[in-house]
Amino acid sequence: MKSDSLIRIALGAYLLIFFSYLLGPLVVMSLTAFNSSSFPSVSPWACFTFEWFDVLFNDRHIREGIYYSIIIGIGTVILSVSMGLAASIVLTQVWPRLRSTYYTMIIAPILIPGVVLGISTLVFWDRLGGFLGATEGSVLHGLFHNGLFLTILGQSSFIASYAMLVFVARLQRFDTGLTEAALDLGATHTQAFRKILLPFMRPAIASAAVLAFLASFENYNTTTFTIIDYKTLTTVLAQKVRLGINPSISSLAFIIIVLTIFAALTLEATQSHKRRREAVAQGRMKPAGKSILPSFMRGNIAAIICVLLAFVVIFMVTTAQSYSPEMCKAEVREARQLEIQERIEALNAARAEREATEEPTSTVTDEQAPASSGAFGGVFDPGNLSTDTAEPEAETTAPAGGSGAFGNAFDPGNLETED
Amino acid sequence: MKKKMIFSNFFKTNGVIMGSILMGLVGFWLIFLIVLPQLSMLDYSFRFNLPPADVGGPKDVYTLSNYQFLIYGSDDTHQTYNSVDLKVFVRTIIAAMMVTIFNILLCYPLAYFLGQSKGSAFVRLLVVLLIIPYWINEILRAFALRIIFGDSGLLNETLMFLHLTSEPIDFIRHDVALYAGLGYAYILLMLFPMYNVIESLDRNQIEAARDMGASWVKIHRRIVIPHAKPGIASGATMVFMLSAGALAAPQILGGPSSLWFTQLVYQWFNDSLNWQQGAAYAIVLLVSTITIVLTVMRIFKVNMGDIGK
Repeated sequence: MKSDSLIRIALGAYLLIFFSYLLGPLVVMSLTAFNSSSFPSVSPWACFTFEWFDVLFNDRHIREGIYYSIIIGIGTVILSVSMGLAASIVLTQVWPRLRSTYYTMIIAPILIPGVVLGISTLVFWDRLGGFLGATEGSVLHGLFHNGLFLTILGQSSFIASYAMLVFVARLQRFDTGLTEAALDLGATHTQAFRKILLPFMRPAIASAAVLAFLASFENYNTTTFTIIDYKTLTTVLAQKVRLGINPSISSLAFIIIVLTIFAALTLEATQSHKRRREAVAQGRMKPAGKSILPSFMRGNIAAIICVLLAFVVIFMVTTAQSYSPEMCKAEVREARQLEIQERIEALNAARAEREATEEPTSTVTDEQAPASSGAFGGVFDPGNLSTDTAEPEAETTAPAGGSGAFGNAFDPGNLETED
Repeated sequence: MKKKMIFSNFFKTNGVIMGSILMGLVGFWLIFLIVLPQLSMLDYSFRFNLPPADVGGPKDVYTLSNYQFLIYGSDDTHQTYNSVDLKVFVRTIIAAMMVTIFNILLCYPLAYFLGQSKGSAFVRLLVVLLIIPYWINEILRAFALRIIFGDSGLLNETLMFLHLTSEPIDFIRHDVALYAGLGYAYILLMLFPMYNVIESLDRNQIEAARDMGASWVKIHRRIVIPHAKPGIASGATMVFMLSAGALAAPQILGGPSSLWFTQLVYQWFNDSLNWQQGAAYAIVLLVSTITIVLTVMRIFKVNMGDIGK
């Protein structure tokens, strides 16, 4: 029994570690979206703010990126779902000896690194254009060097494999007798396909389409080579993250995370509702008793969380309209200024001390001192220049001690600079 | 003769219109999106980087120089090796292997736990929690880790607050962030295949083994792992290929000096505009990773057909 409880504890600790590794970074990133500090961080926490959402919504590059991502996503869904469906139907009919070769070929794009797919697409269409004699400026040349066209093809080459896997799973349960019966009764092949196979495949087509769209939307490795002079959301984000980051990216991540949670919970809630209804219908479970909750939510935790989350989001959006962090931000700015001032004073005091001990060189440093410290202070705040001119007195009037205490409240690190 | 029969059979079962649509779609995919692009990249990698005027001219001949550059660098006498690029290549492969092994070890217990305790609401909640990070953009996930591992990131702030270190540790320069990010990026592609196969394992087998006195280690070694092998293999293949071919995580989380092999490819294409050289590097990456995967699959006796199931 003792080892049993030990295993339980170990399992709990392991689950905790695993899930904090998986979800922790996302939580931290979401929090940084609400910190007013201009670098994404949670500590030191400055002010609670919604301003990064404003920055995000006003970012032209991100809006354009989303626009093109959606266009590419739609193109990729159409192309890859139809290719994947065709490939899976052919797989059921292909000559048995060819089957494994064929399967390897259509599954291979999943395993080929995205970078390689992007490059090969780029190179191939460039050379095909050259081969067909498309010269610079002709329509064909334009098409073969069009970022959207190439990206849709490059992405479809491997997303079709994902779609194919979804269809293969569904096709295994298809009764070919149905199609044969329809053909015997005089339907054409096209009719049999449209009236029998397509309705049967509809759920698989829907999930393959969603999968394909998401895979296309978040693809980076292939897209970055084939996109040329267009941009997608991922390439814009990658550029932003590499060149310098600000919390508006965190706010985008927060929005995506909330949408994902919504989608996952809704899916779980509908499935759980369906399971429940089936159980009730089969008499395995009693229908839920009377309660104030609507029937959909009874005994359905996912649905309840989902609705609660919706309320939280609505609440957040409404407060964001009226909430203003200006007061808090002014306070932080003031504290920061005091802190800087204090640091300058400490520097000056140190310099004065040095001057006192090193009498002979004092004449030189005396002239340099105000200018250099001014430049130092100017880095932080141009307004500090005024205090710098009054420097000689500063060291005697230094008892900014009171204000120092104020600054300390915000930054414990100041304790060290003071002594 | 035989081939003709297959095709006529195919059109007989599908009808002419549907048959040609199916053949057209599959043919377009296989020929224009998979085979020909790869072949043309292979062909390209054996050519010189010529100005447009010389393409197709007498100077446009096949060459091994792009591959020689990877091994010997710009040294024509082949005395010294291109140690920078080779080191990057070896490091990429070894690091991708390490990431794969790390992911197997981390995921196996969870996959076993989830797979064997099916049905309960708690497990379903855990699976939902797992799906959420799966759909967050790769770049945003790398960005999240950058926030944590940065100079003034959460980890450094915590360490300094606890007085474990007086100065921020440069996790990014020491590649800690990169390896954590790669392990993080594809961990779910390891978990889900493993989870799927373990879920299909009949619980009675484990019970029977336990009743007959098999130890805990033996149960896993003789029953669970052999059953889970296809899942582990396809997860490991995915994680290895994806991390060896990763571009976003090294770009975002890599230090200034550390390069991933894909970053070299990227530089040849976008900075140096030498597509032939980049294609050669890409071919080297593709061939070596596929060789490694096939070798490992041969060693562990796994079929290609098990991948993706």
